[in-house]
Amino acid sequence: MNTRIMPEFDLLLPETVEQAVSLLDKYQDKASIISGGTDVCVAMKSGYRTDFLISLAKISGLDYLEYDPSTGLRIGAKTTISQVLSSADVKTYYPALWQAASIFATPQLRNTATVIGNLLRASPAGDCICAVYALGGNIVLQGAEGQREVSVDEFWLAYGVTARKVDEIAIELNLPAPVKGNRSSFKRLTRTNEDLAKLNAAAHLEMDGKKCKQARLSIGCVAAIPMRLEKTEALLKGAEITDDLLEKIVTNVGNEISPIDDVRSTAEYRNQVAGVLIKRVITQACCKS
Amino acid sequence: MSNFKTVGKSERKLDARGKVTGKTIYVDDLQMPGMLYGKVVRCYEHAHARVKKLDLSKAAAYPGVIKVLGPEDVTQKEYNNSVIPLMVPEEMQQVLGDIDDQKIFTKHVKHYGDAIAGIIATSAEIAEKAAEKVIVEYEPLPVYLTSEESRQPDAVQFVEGKPGNLAFELPEPVFPNNTMGWGDVDDAFEEADFIVEDEFYVPKQKQCQMEPNTYIAMYDEEERLHCWTSTQMPKSVQRTLSKLFEVPMHKFKLHTATIGGGFGARLGMILEPEVCAMALAVPGRHIKLQSPREEDWLTSPSRHPGRYWMKIGFKNDGTPVACDAKFVSYKGGYYLDGSGVAYTTGGWLSAMYKWGALRYKGETYFTNQPICGAFRGYGNPQTNFAMEQLVDRACNKLDIDPVEWRKRWHKDVGDDGWCAGVPLSSCALDECLDRGAEAIGWKDKRAKYAKQSGTIRRGVGVGVMTHTSGASPMLLEHTVSTVKLNEDATAVVTLACTDMGQGSHTTLRQVAAETLGFPVEDVYMNVDDMDAAGYDIGAHASRTLYVGGGSVKAACEDAKRQLFERAAGILEANPDDLVMEDKNIFVKGSPDKSVAAEEITKAGVYNFLNPETGGRDKEPGQIQGYSSYFPAHNSPPFGACFAEVEVNTETGEVKILEAVNATDIGKAINPAIAEGQLDGGAHQGFGFALTEEMYFDKDGKCLNNSFTDYKMLGASDMPKMTDILVENPDPYGPFGAKSVGEGGLVSPIGAIANAIYNAIDVQITEAPITSEKIVNALKNL
Repeated sequence: MNTRIMPEFDLLLPETVEQAVSLLDKYQDKASIISGGTDVCVAMKSGYRTDFLISLAKISGLDYLEYDPSTGLRIGAKTTISQVLSSADVKTYYPALWQAASIFATPQLRNTATVIGNLLRASPAGDCICAVYALGGNIVLQGAEGQREVSVDEFWLAYGVTARKVDEIAIELNLPAPVKGNRSSFKRLTRTNEDLAKLNAAAHLEMDGKKCKQARLSIGCVAAIPMRLEKTEALLKGAEITDDLLEKIVTNVGNEISPIDDVRSTAEYRNQVAGVLIKRVITQACCKS
Repeated sequence: MSNFKTVGKSERKLDARGKVTGKTIYVDDLQMPGMLYGKVVRCYEHAHARVKKLDLSKAAAYPGVIKVLGPEDVTQKEYNNSVIPLMVPEEMQQVLGDIDDQKIFTKHVKHYGDAIAGIIATSAEIAEKAAEKVIVEYEPLPVYLTSEESRQPDAVQFVEGKPGNLAFELPEPVFPNNTMGWGDVDDAFEEADFIVEDEFYVPKQKQCQMEPNTYIAMYDEEERLHCWTSTQMPKSVQRTLSKLFEVPMHKFKLHTATIGGGFGARLGMILEPEVCAMALAVPGRHIKLQSPREEDWLTSPSRHPGRYWMKIGFKNDGTPVACDAKFVSYKGGYYLDGSGVAYTTGGWLSAMYKWGALRYKGETYFTNQPICGAFRGYGNPQTNFAMEQLVDRACNKLDIDPVEWRKRWHKDVGDDGWCAGVPLSSCALDECLDRGAEAIGWKDKRAKYAKQSGTIRRGVGVGVMTHTSGASPMLLEHTVSTVKLNEDATAVVTLACTDMGQGSHTTLRQVAAETLGFPVEDVYMNVDDMDAAGYDIGAHASRTLYVGGGSVKAACEDAKRQLFERAAGILEANPDDLVMEDKNIFVKGSPDKSVAAEEITKAGVYNFLNPETGGRDKEPGQIQGYSSYFPAHNSPPFGACFAEVEVNTETGEVKILEAVNATDIGKAINPAIAEGQLDGGAHQGFGFALTEEMYFDKDGKCLNNSFTDYKMLGASDMPKMTDILVENPDPYGPFGAKSVGEGGLVSPIGAIANAIYNAIDVQITEAPITSEKIVNALKNL
């Protein structure tokens, strides 16, 4: 049962990433990182225990959002959802991410929750996760040994588990530079407007006129981790996006997923409606340049 | 009517400034010197079990723990968290079979989160940590989540004297054959040209009042027990606790606190028995007991869920020749309002339409769900969901406009309302239907939406309701109020009516000011002194303005009569000929010769002997008006809600585009407050229809006792709302007013369900109408 009372912990306030990494190295799985706190604080009131909370609050320079037409988008570890929302570049070049940010939780939470925090939560219902998965890119992890980059395709391993090692900090998200004909979109279904998704989906298409050269489709809430719809992507690759193709996709998606019943929806509904949602994100991506 | 000074004006709510600036003090804000903190240890392992062993020793030894309390360490008397049984005569309680079946700490866990022990410590943190040290061994029992399971012959009995776990059915002595209604239903169905019939499911909806449950109690040096509580019903709770703890009423001080919402959850008690038991165990110390938000779903009563079967027979011209219905509800672990809801659900059914014959059965069975009790609407939402959908199904078949059918067949003045033998005193439902239909564009939209294809479909629907103003004559109705005129001709009204946020203190003040003829600023509402205030049942049954207002009006008339009698002596006139303007009293038409009200009120207090005559020049005595008021009626309000929805047939998404709530309010004392009640009611009605339900796993564990997964509609989900206040003064209500507290929740349920039906041509018989159910229904067409 939840409580109003936080369990006891030591709050550590490193001032550099290096200090933070060395604290992680020292305390390993006895420590957790806190930035926005919108996940870890809730977890700590419902049974999660950690001896040390390593806060990023005093580390400067991690709240950037930088777009470069040739290298892409860089989002820092402390960059909030609200920052993403206020970026015209994200809205223009990475609409899937912007759309995910626009419906993310509530305005209050958007002001403190971070994009990277959402990726690290590794929930199959994560809206930013879903968008980022379709957009592709890398997550930069820094550990005692230095930095490494992990593709988003290899980042989410199981429910709540990512490729981040216990002594690493995810310091940056890189999204690739958009190429000509790049389009993306995100949509979700919820019970009320301010809710966790019962289904979410994102499409990232590389279009050449009406023809789809490449597609990345991601879908959430249908497995323990967000998933790519590779068979459906294959249907799109090289194809002209017609109504017939979209209807075929609607049917195909249901065969590619194995959702379960939970408190937010049913397996049956997810199976039937996932394809509709994919159709919507493809259509929306195509309609908007 | 236009000559009212304050009645009919949207005066600012008395509590508005404090609440929007965060200054309002709730119980949780109170810090007492040396205060201790309580914690109720609950069973989260089982929904049904016996406590085989309870070892509190480790918890007791935890540093900072003052006392631990097991089931034997507190009163062994049983009680009932609902205070409804107080409001019927004792003989009737026997007939109804009302029982006290709750214990402060139980050894028979009847629902997930049932209370098994208590801890008192120097801090909330310590109390919580000590609670983790409690060792309990349980003997698990079979879990029954529905009546279909708990009524089986071999099921474990919840209490003695309730065989088959049947907590309540309409009692034979009052309701022959355990049924309510009239006429011979079986014969009447023979006359029907066709019949509509279905079984509906109505959900376990939660009130979700914003303020979590927090209490303080203290047993003082004068052996006076104090309890700070945000109950809706202070006097009834005082009486119940006084009996439970055998403390005479003058030694039980109930401190009413700001109520952060109630909606029926605080009708009666929640954790008052637990906190008082703790206070008695540690005399002289204040004890604060707060439960986390998540516990509210498990420990305060919800709406009654269950299965509602209904069958209605019609003639081809639309005549409803017969209605047969049975509501079987899942009571939860304890009795509470067992008799009330099972009865009123049928009452509302009997009150709405002119059925040729009616037969209603109401039964409720103990189950291992958390408790059910009162929730805004009290059985009416359940009836509305089933009845209004079946009516529209019939209208569809008959090709009769649902608005026209309702205008033709709703009950009207002179017909019995929800209580047999009490004819309706007023009814303006036709005007509600006409104006509501006009406002939403009913005819055009119905025509436009008749034939649709594609994935986006729109629909417009109507639902009607009737409710009550106070619970008379089923339950006691009684409010005492006093009004004291100060020396400076300002007034203080003292009474025990609570304001849960609905604005009743503001409207009662308007009633007082209007009656006295004083400016509204000159009246103060003394509403938090339960030693001074006389009896009041408490806020329930949409009664506060109607009954409390009737009482305030009578008390103020009494005060004004005294004032005018004294003025008549000074002016040498007949009191009946006097009027007051700007607090000057004069003979009507002769304002030149007047006496100031203040001259009289001041002289009544500062009254000296005349040294020359040895007598008194002016009449002595401070004027106080008094009323011990029992209303003569229950003036049912009526209302019609219209809703327009958009449904996506591929995903089952429902968007409410617009809603119009037209209510026959009699007279709106404060229109803004009345509209607030309608909007808030509609919000909860829409939630019942679309999203709100508590879910359980097969073991009885609640899966969504938090706002993460118990979904009320948010502000952005709400449609454009239009409220229409239809004023047709009622002969009994104060200034013609009828209630508006609960009814506004009811008709939106039928309106939404019927709008969805209009959009997709399928009725969803299980509430809430989720996207999943819509997609499923469309698939199975």
